[in-house]
Amino acid sequence: MRSIKFLFFLATACLSFSISFAQSADEIISKYVSAIGGADNWKKVNTVVMSGSMSMQGTEISLVRTVAHNKGFKNEISVMGMSGYQILTPTEGWNFMPFNGQTAPEAMTADDVKEGQNDLDAQGAVVDYVAKGHSAEYLGKEEVDGTECHKVKFTYKNGKNETMFFDPASYYLIKSIAVQKANDQEVEITTTFSNYEKLAEGVVVAKSISLPLGPGVNADFTVSKIEINKTIDPAVFTPAK
Amino acid sequence: MKRKHFFLLFIISAISIPASAQINSSTYGMMEARYLGPGTMSGRITDIAGVNNDGGKTIYVGTAGGGIWKSNNAGFSFKPIFDKYVQSIGALAIDQKNPKTIYAGTGESNMRNTVSIGNGMYKSTDGGDNWTKIGLDSTEHISKVLIDPSNSSVIYVSAPGPLWSDSKHRGLYKSNDAGKTWEKILYINEKAGVADVEMDPQNTNVLYATTWEFRRLPYAFNSGGNGSGIYKSTDAGKTWKELTNGLPKKPFGRVAIALAPSAPQNLWAIVESENTGLYISSDGGATWKEQSATANIRSRPFYFSTLEVDPKDAKRVYRPAFSFAYSNDGGYSFAEASNEGGWIHSDHHALWINPNNTNILYLGTDGGVYYSLDKGVNWKFVNNLPVGQFYHVNTDDQQPYRVYGGLQDNGSWVAPSSIAGGVMNGDWKSIYGGDGFWVQPDPENPQYAYAEYQGGNMARVHITEGTSINIKPQAVSGDDPLRFNWNTPLLAGAKNPKNLYTAAQYLYKSTNKGASWEKISPDLTTNDKKKQEQEKSGGLSMDVTSAENHCTIFTIAESPLDENLIWVGTDDGNVQYTADGGKTWNNVTKNVTAAGIPAGAWVSSIEPSAFDNKTVYASFENHMYGDHNTYAAVSKDGGATWTRFKSEEFTGFAHKIKEDILSKNLIFLGTEMGLFASVNGGQNWFRMKLNLPWYALVRDIHIQRQTGDLLLATHGRGIIVIQDISPMRKINESVAAEPVVMLNDQPMGLTNGKYGGSFPNASGDWNGGTANTIPFIEYYLKERANSIQLEVTDMNGKLLQKLTASNRKGYNRSLWNQRMMPPKIAKGGNQTEQAAFSALQVLPGNYLLKLKVNGKEYVKQIQMIHDASNEFFTEKDRLLQYEKGMELFAMNEDLAVLVDSVLLYQGELQKKIDAQTSKKAKSVLQKQWDAVEKFRLTLVPPVVKGIADLKRLRNEIGDLYAAIVSQEAAPGNLQIQKISALQTALKKAKADFATLRRPTK
Repeated sequence: MRSIKFLFFLATACLSFSISFAQSADEIISKYVSAIGGADNWKKVNTVVMSGSMSMQGTEISLVRTVAHNKGFKNEISVMGMSGYQILTPTEGWNFMPFNGQTAPEAMTADDVKEGQNDLDAQGAVVDYVAKGHSAEYLGKEEVDGTECHKVKFTYKNGKNETMFFDPASYYLIKSIAVQKANDQEVEITTTFSNYEKLAEGVVVAKSISLPLGPGVNADFTVSKIEINKTIDPAVFTPAK
Repeated sequence: MKRKHFFLLFIISAISIPASAQINSSTYGMMEARYLGPGTMSGRITDIAGVNNDGGKTIYVGTAGGGIWKSNNAGFSFKPIFDKYVQSIGALAIDQKNPKTIYAGTGESNMRNTVSIGNGMYKSTDGGDNWTKIGLDSTEHISKVLIDPSNSSVIYVSAPGPLWSDSKHRGLYKSNDAGKTWEKILYINEKAGVADVEMDPQNTNVLYATTWEFRRLPYAFNSGGNGSGIYKSTDAGKTWKELTNGLPKKPFGRVAIALAPSAPQNLWAIVESENTGLYISSDGGATWKEQSATANIRSRPFYFSTLEVDPKDAKRVYRPAFSFAYSNDGGYSFAEASNEGGWIHSDHHALWINPNNTNILYLGTDGGVYYSLDKGVNWKFVNNLPVGQFYHVNTDDQQPYRVYGGLQDNGSWVAPSSIAGGVMNGDWKSIYGGDGFWVQPDPENPQYAYAEYQGGNMARVHITEGTSINIKPQAVSGDDPLRFNWNTPLLAGAKNPKNLYTAAQYLYKSTNKGASWEKISPDLTTNDKKKQEQEKSGGLSMDVTSAENHCTIFTIAESPLDENLIWVGTDDGNVQYTADGGKTWNNVTKNVTAAGIPAGAWVSSIEPSAFDNKTVYASFENHMYGDHNTYAAVSKDGGATWTRFKSEEFTGFAHKIKEDILSKNLIFLGTEMGLFASVNGGQNWFRMKLNLPWYALVRDIHIQRQTGDLLLATHGRGIIVIQDISPMRKINESVAAEPVVMLNDQPMGLTNGKYGGSFPNASGDWNGGTANTIPFIEYYLKERANSIQLEVTDMNGKLLQKLTASNRKGYNRSLWNQRMMPPKIAKGGNQTEQAAFSALQVLPGNYLLKLKVNGKEYVKQIQMIHDASNEFFTEKDRLLQYEKGMELFAMNEDLAVLVDSVLLYQGELQKKIDAQTSKKAKSVLQKQWDAVEKFRLTLVPPVVKGIADLKRLRNEIGDLYAAIVSQEAAPGNLQIQKISALQTALKKAKADFATLRRPTK
């Protein structure tokens, strides 16, 4: 069950790099949106398909994430020839983790579906964030890994909080701390972002996403391929029978 | 079976878990502190506050020196939420209308000798994630914060104010704008502050406040005076009237006051006076009657100032004090709590009663938090709050080394620095009682240690038997009565650890484990008789505990270079040394004061250099005269002249200065508000942040000899271990100027690592973790990198493993498991296999680290060596393990290829079946497919519902492979024999498949 929540988190983390999303917080976010390609380019994004992998002590674990703007997302994780997934739509969600004997997808709770709705925004919550009902508060500067960053508390329309840290030189998001609700408990998820690259579509994304697990140990996801506005079969967001 | 869940367990753990070359804390930011605990013996709790209307889930705990901790689950787990600010907490208050808004008054008001200070009020509007300082900076001690339940903008703060000096920054303060501005609404004089305040919740214009006159000197305490009293306001603090009718004759000392929220005309007050006792009013304070005066009611009023009434039941009164007492009759009689749920630590300071379920109570004591589900009759300890208050820390030379230290209120303790599964509560052992201070392991016998309790009561202790022999020096003919400090030095020599030292006003040395002592000095203090009248201490209530003992020796330091060179510092300002083992003494106090150290300042530590016997460091503190400045100095001419260390970074009075054991330029300074370091011999200092509380109360610093671990005795966060400070030795100013430096410059031992655990914290204890035992790959980046890659290759450039690599500015480290890549595993089934995550360890030899930073590659050769310390795993064993492991590796991959071929063939058959229109031919093909499928399921397990440990060829090969490559031992004889059997089986499988797919005639 926890592994399912991990995937749920991955979905958030991976999307965050692309959407991460009022000196005021509004100014900071505006500069960030410019740094990642500008609102106009992001508003043209309807779908995102990302492929990547994570190396765990030499073992490759692959990850494919598919997002159709405000329609659905799917996270697929594959190892040893087995694949599991997480699907979320505006109204439903499913988890399937076959690695330990699960043979059929399980429906997400209504709370989890609600909690995950921000992840359906393929264009990024920060783009037109006020119009979308989100808000942001500037909390001053704070050091992150040796870099004095702008700290912004971003509050999603659904009440979920994420504290974002922006590099003042590039205005890239380099770290976020998302407060995720799980089993009626709040869990902080810290993610760092790097290796920003500009795509042909003009948008700039972080291709390395890291979750610190302990001293010298990170879960590092390296994105190898990103496809923007690829046609996605809606069936992708339906769990296999 | 458990092994197969490795992957998921790993993932689960994931949840639960433009630059200059200027050197500062972030330069070393990837070094991390480990909080060893203990959780089994916590520390002083000063306040507890809960959110009223969230089912009792959200609780905040304020501590004496460990900041604020928050629980989102009614106390089942906690996290610290105040680590960037001053750590002494006086009072907490939640705005129950907006429960994300919290006020914290810093600086506890339990005015014992070792109490720390705060720097005013803080406010959070997001449940403690972020805090803003909102004033009253100079109050130093805050006892209570009240929020008007009818108007969240109205806040009252009671401030007893500074303990060690006169001050105008005390009294009752009020804010009408939620903390933006403050007005002092009740003030007596510079000696008397406000100790307690209560508000009538039904008419919030009605306030009660108690004023308190008190003062500490280094050698005396006074509670009481004409400034103490009980006051009432009926106009929200504009005017006050003193209450006297029925109360004892003044002067008063400290007064604790409580009212019944359900019947607020009913008041209770414990009045320290010549007739200390409980006084009750049923008419809003107009008249009072004396009631119960049990020992628990009267005990130490200056220290036990908590009195609470059930929010719904005006007859249920609680008196947490020396013990926990409750009354069912409005305070006329009291009963004591039961110990059925376990011993309840004495000395209570905080009580939160859940107003929506008044059966549920949380109690804060000198030993941590307890909760009760039956209105305080039985209590259960919260075992995961590591906020103990250590005075000193020490280690021995065992592997893993053990950690020793003494806790305020809570005795002397020892624990392993690492142990399988992590250092948990049961790993900590109490070895001596009382208040603990110095603990010195016997350098010759690990069964023994020297420990003490307050006032120089010391013993040689048998650690495992729990027996002890009293070794306290005694005054003999011609001696003055001995004056031992509250925190008497007791330590071994740095040059000759067989020398054991302790001191009163005289210095004592033993060379036979304390069986006999030699007095090797005259009185080294000022021997000022005016400062030796401790029997008069306490004020209205006598309080003579040795806490005020003065004119004593506080610090002793034998030179690491010369056992005859011994330095001594006293609590009244003297610095003296002997260069001849105590025959003659040299007083260099004037030289110290010439450097700007105040005369009479407490000499908190002396550190003779390990590199030069003319160099000596010392720290001093003068807070007992109201001076909280940081004083530390060095002499490089044997004490003749001193130079004071100065830095804008310094905060807090200084407890300990420590020179590194290997790098003479690396110096640490621990103060009441932080740990500071210098890597250039004290020219520049920076605050050590890492993942430490920035203003940690660092009482002692110790460097473990073999590991280079830095250990901190904190007065509020237990023992903190920073593993291996070698990065601070390596990254100096010249290294820091380079863009990228790969730091591994020593051969690295091959190891599987130690201290794994199977059941992560089954008991819910505080888990102090373990040391990392696999050497890190280390590198320095002058700037944060946008992209980074790190690989290990053999000397021919063949990739062995890609590593996860951090990209932070400063010191980085990556964990390489010293292995290559795991084999490809045959597809099939729905179970994970450990073999898919198990790689062979590399052989001893040279390898290349390739670090690519923003596209530029840096290469460093490293040497991996066999660890000869393991007699059960010789180099020959290692070679055999490698050879057999490689055979099995190949078999795993051969089988994967075979299964791929089978699947391909089955796919082809399926296509033919689908395309075939002849029923008969279809049936023949289907039989062939079925036969192949039957064969395939001899190779790999089927997809199953649920969990099944099915043994197929893949499992047999994989399990044996994983077992052999994961151990530090040669393969066993049966393991080797089984390899042969499996090779035969694999060969047969290949042949069987060839037969199966042979075209039928």
